[in-house]
Amino acid sequence: MPNLGMIMPNMGTERTRSRGKPTASLSDALFSRTQQRLFGLLFGQPERSFYATELIGLTGAGSGAVQRELARLAESGLVTVRAVGKQKHFQANPKSPVYAELCAIVRKTVGLAQPLREALLPLAPQIHAAFVYGSVAKRRDTAASDVDLMLVSDSLSYGDVFAALEAASTTLGRTVNPTILTRREIKKRVEQDSAFVKRVLSQPKMWLIGTEDAVAV
Amino acid sequence: MPSPFENLAGPGKPLKAEPRDAKEFAGLKRAGLARLKDAGNTDLALESRFDLANAAHALCLAALRWHGCRSANRYLVFQMLPHTLGLGPETWRVLAKCHDIRNLGEYEGDLNVDARIVTDLISACDAVAEKLDALLPIASR
Repeated sequence: MPNLGMIMPNMGTERTRSRGKPTASLSDALFSRTQQRLFGLLFGQPERSFYATELIGLTGAGSGAVQRELARLAESGLVTVRAVGKQKHFQANPKSPVYAELCAIVRKTVGLAQPLREALLPLAPQIHAAFVYGSVAKRRDTAASDVDLMLVSDSLSYGDVFAALEAASTTLGRTVNPTILTRREIKKRVEQDSAFVKRVLSQPKMWLIGTEDAVAV
Repeated sequence: MPSPFENLAGPGKPLKAEPRDAKEFAGLKRAGLARLKDAGNTDLALESRFDLANAAHALCLAALRWHGCRSANRYLVFQMLPHTLGLGPETWRVLAKCHDIRNLGEYEGDLNVDARIVTDLISACDAVAEKLDALLPIASR
């Protein structure tokens, strides 16, 4: 509309999310869309600091919305702000009383599990179980850590999986390193006492599809 | 916007510009294809077939050389596949993963290969070979 020099209040209701995927997810119940993307980065990779334009670019959200959210996060002490040259760097604040809890919630929802789950959704009928293991699942990851992903499937190929994961890998800013094992192969390797499979199975896991039962042998 | 080739080439960067060479291209291609053919031999042990199929590196390097570049690191020839041969993550990520598996095997004695990864590695190599075949021949000087 033309600029008439007056303030027109926006009385519209929020657009319902009728398009695309069903969104009754944990993430939607907990956080707004902008918060989801922002928290996913800040608390999903708490060891890393981001500058404002970087966050705006990575989240793909409006600059105003991101700036407002950042101001609130900084004011509440959930996030620290550090001036580096002309840039302001934002980073999750480990001294905030809910730091550990927020990081945990974000990892289980928007930070990691959800983008991976969504990426695997088209392949889900072929997957018996999927989980993240390694440094990320053990919470010992650094910004440079790969996300180690185990897929139990009798039919998937690595090509299918890499194609499906590429976009999520870009959003997460991490390389996803999948390993595909058939149920038979897992059983065989456990019987053969394979160091790799034994190590993976005994490690902490972040479940994306299925539960511990799927790898019980 | 500069091309990925320009972005990665230059002093201190991993790509170097180097004139194309018909003989080198043919040699890399021949060596790669010969090993790829043997990798399909199911009489061989999986580990051997895996090693042979890792000759994909020669094919990917041939593609990079076709574009008049050379790489200082092995990994980059895979990463450049979207630009050298128009192949996506379903191909180059598989090759890169196999490259990592090979390194773990060579340096840490932990070679974890199964029929799945060998099959997928060979089909990724086939995709590279097919695209490589479609490149116009380099005029010999």
